[in-house]
Amino acid sequence: MTRRRDKGLRFSRRHFVVGVLLAGMTALAARSVHLQVLDREFLREEGDARHLRVVKMSAHRGMITDRNGEPLAISTPVDSVWANPGELMSARERLPELARLLGVPADDLWQTIASRADREFVYLRRHINPDLGRRVLALELPGVALQREYRRFYPLGEVAAHLIGFTNVDDHGQEGLELAWDAWLSGEPGLKRVVRDRLGRIVKDVEQIRPVRPGHDLRLSIDSRLQYLAYRELKKAVERHRARAGSIVLLDPHSGEVLAMVNQPSYNPNNRKGLKVEALRNRAVTDVFEPGSTVKPFVVAAALESGRVPRGLRIDTSPGYYRVSGHLIRDDRNNGRLDLAHILIRSSNVGASKLAMRLPSDVLWQGLSRVGFGQATGSGFPGERSGLLNPPQRWRKLDKATLAFGYGLSVTALQLAQAYSVLAADGVLHPAHFVPGQEVRPRRVMRAATARSVRAMLRGVISDEGTARRAAVPGYSVAGKTGTVHKAVAGGYAEDRYVAIFAGMAPADDPRLVAVVVIDEPQGDYYGGKVAAPVFSRVMQAALRVLNVAPDAPAGLQAGRVSSREGAA
Amino acid sequence: MAELLLDRRSAPRRRAGRSLVHPDWALLAVVGTLLGLGLVMVASASITVADRNTGNPLYFFQRQLVFVAAGLMLMALMYRIPLQQWERSGRGLLLFAAFLLVLVLIPGVGKTVNGSTRWLPLGFFSLQVSEFAKLFVAIYLAGFLVRRGEQVRNDLRVFLRVVAVLGVFAVLLLLEPDFGAAVVLMGMGMGMLFLAGVRLGRFAGLMGLLVLAMGVLAVSSPYRLKRLTAFLDPWQDPFNSGFQLTQALIAIGRGGWTGAGLGNSIQKLFYLPEAHNDFLFAVFAEEFGLLGVLLVIGLYGWLLWRIFAIGGAAERLGQCFGAFLAWGAGIWIGLQAFINIGVNMGMLPTKGLTLPLMSAGGSSMLVTCTLIGLVLRIDRERREAEASAAAPRRRVVP
Repeated sequence: MTRRRDKGLRFSRRHFVVGVLLAGMTALAARSVHLQVLDREFLREEGDARHLRVVKMSAHRGMITDRNGEPLAISTPVDSVWANPGELMSARERLPELARLLGVPADDLWQTIASRADREFVYLRRHINPDLGRRVLALELPGVALQREYRRFYPLGEVAAHLIGFTNVDDHGQEGLELAWDAWLSGEPGLKRVVRDRLGRIVKDVEQIRPVRPGHDLRLSIDSRLQYLAYRELKKAVERHRARAGSIVLLDPHSGEVLAMVNQPSYNPNNRKGLKVEALRNRAVTDVFEPGSTVKPFVVAAALESGRVPRGLRIDTSPGYYRVSGHLIRDDRNNGRLDLAHILIRSSNVGASKLAMRLPSDVLWQGLSRVGFGQATGSGFPGERSGLLNPPQRWRKLDKATLAFGYGLSVTALQLAQAYSVLAADGVLHPAHFVPGQEVRPRRVMRAATARSVRAMLRGVISDEGTARRAAVPGYSVAGKTGTVHKAVAGGYAEDRYVAIFAGMAPADDPRLVAVVVIDEPQGDYYGGKVAAPVFSRVMQAALRVLNVAPDAPAGLQAGRVSSREGAA
Repeated sequence: MAELLLDRRSAPRRRAGRSLVHPDWALLAVVGTLLGLGLVMVASASITVADRNTGNPLYFFQRQLVFVAAGLMLMALMYRIPLQQWERSGRGLLLFAAFLLVLVLIPGVGKTVNGSTRWLPLGFFSLQVSEFAKLFVAIYLAGFLVRRGEQVRNDLRVFLRVVAVLGVFAVLLLLEPDFGAAVVLMGMGMGMLFLAGVRLGRFAGLMGLLVLAMGVLAVSSPYRLKRLTAFLDPWQDPFNSGFQLTQALIAIGRGGWTGAGLGNSIQKLFYLPEAHNDFLFAVFAEEFGLLGVLLVIGLYGWLLWRIFAIGGAAERLGQCFGAFLAWGAGIWIGLQAFINIGVNMGMLPTKGLTLPLMSAGGSSMLVTCTLIGLVLRIDRERREAEASAAAPRRRVVP
């Protein structure tokens, strides 16, 4: 092998080696073209699937205020802790730190994420205060992140719980006006696309898919001062009489606006732990009862409207009872001959019944139906009941007779208040509602003269002669009517369970307020005049003062006296 | 061809002896560019990870900066040491390399990371012995091929003895295990033997045996088999065995034509493990796109071409030690860059190999800079020899 050939050999071998290496480099270049040009779309998509997330931006829920702008429901920012289970599981040894901060057992936390290992999102704890949220984030655990949410706070607590209702953890209305007006109150959460690093932290916003639209505020017709005092008086009364439940409704008769609506039992909407279902109902609209004697003024009004009742009509109620279809209808005493006013003042079942019998069924039905019995008020309150008023075609003789003193039909407290507001507003019915400006159509359902004269008769109830002396309000004239009803139970009426009712208005000449007080199953005293009327008096007195209504009756003269030629028997 | 190119570029040597002490500026410029790009990318790729793990976002960058500075000093030092000294101490260096490789395997001495025992902890940094072993083997082998070149070519026993030495080193590396270093060492050794003129028949037989041995190794231990199959279709199991590779591929694909821009990689945000290390290139590809990738591949290609040309020029003047050492360095750097980039692109199974001159890693940086320094020294001695000889001896007419 000569040196020259040797050199030539090495020369070519060297170029072979360089050639192989450069071919490798060329292959790399070709591969990078493949990856960065041809496979780019696929790889981008795979990358996006890992980096891009659509994140919800919670919308601020509208505030609920009373008519004067006092807050009744406000949203405060809170943080919810969530995790990507797969990523968090990689830091198992640090879970106890997180569990301690969140106040949950570490084992439970592990269970929570381990059982959802195949998912990408799980809430670890909802609604913690932002301060704690920051401390959770400071742990820097993989896959743990915060989400800004809003939590509802109800400044009035149990006082307005039934009316306002509440939202669930996802900020959707569940009860009450929160539910009824959910669409209005809730904003539309925004969506944005973000890039996250592998620890779940947002690196940058890519695009806004949908902007956040915050919810609208809602101003209610409620006056929180009246709401508060009504609640206070109701709670006291229910406690004193050891009643099962109770409701008060305060209405502005000239607009139909509900000024206050309270119930017992109530609950704290800010902490619903251990909440009993029965405390949840807004009984004033969801529970019906037989109105008893409180319906009598509308029987009288129907009679007046029919034109079939001669002026000065007196009805003989002797001997204090009479028989219809084999059933005895009775008063608690023999009232003798009574004019229309005294049928109301004495609350004579016999008188009302006999009066009803003189009216054609459809006239009576119309009289009751037109003031709203048997139909929901249209307030839009969730779960509102319409009550029951059977059509006259189905009435038997006894049905008609008992209807006249409030049995065989059922009403809600709100319905009853609305019906009384017809008397207060000179025959115009303003449908009850909770939101000023809500579209309601006032309609005349009674001649003004009829309403006025029934109102005048009802003033007589609040007198020594009448059943509701205790409903009197010092300084003001009051018109109203008591009701004491045996509760219907399966197969008839309970002998010892009552509903005590008072419905009334003040000042009687030009009523500013209509109020209905319902006390369910009071123990001991059970007459509406003894149980419900005093509550009405206290609430009305305070409410009139709050509203700056000028007294219309100097002390001592407030009890309207309707002249009675017959007098009581 | 290479000589032509080199001669034309180094034409100034004709004019004055002064220029003889000039290093190969073009080579230095390419090396400097790769070092600079590497530093920028180590900073970019590690900034968030460093911030989270150490509290200092520039932690890895600062370390890398120190290693680059130390590497440049080593490079300058190598430039000043006559090659003869290295040629003489080859045997000693080989024994030292063997000592290091055995030392790291002694339990309690070597540091284990991710199941591999490759490092000797030295306080400030951990010495990766395989890098130094590769360097010392290259120096020894170059000297051996000069001394006993004729025997290696003609005597099968001598040839097998060299192969046996290489085999022992490869086995020591596999015991760590460091499959990548073993491949680079064997590739470099075989390449040098091939260039020394070993008969093709013998060579082919040996290569066949080597391929067989590697195949057996790969299949015999299941974790290697799993790694092998994972790289072929990483999308089959993108969250376990294919995790790192799919993340690297996504990074490269996201780069597109011109890249996301410096600092804008998303994959480096904890998605891609070892982003500043063995997978630095993927982050680079994401931030600089195809243009950047082609530039870097071109730079490595040019670098190995240049090193080979330097070796060729030395060989022509009979400086065979320098020639073999340069070729060894060229194969080493080229092969390691190829494997690292190939791994990043999913062309090769994943190995723990650094990207020479660019990715983070102290030992690799120091050794690669040393290697470049040696190449520069080879070039210098060739120029000095040429200049001291009479100008008319030049064979190539300008």
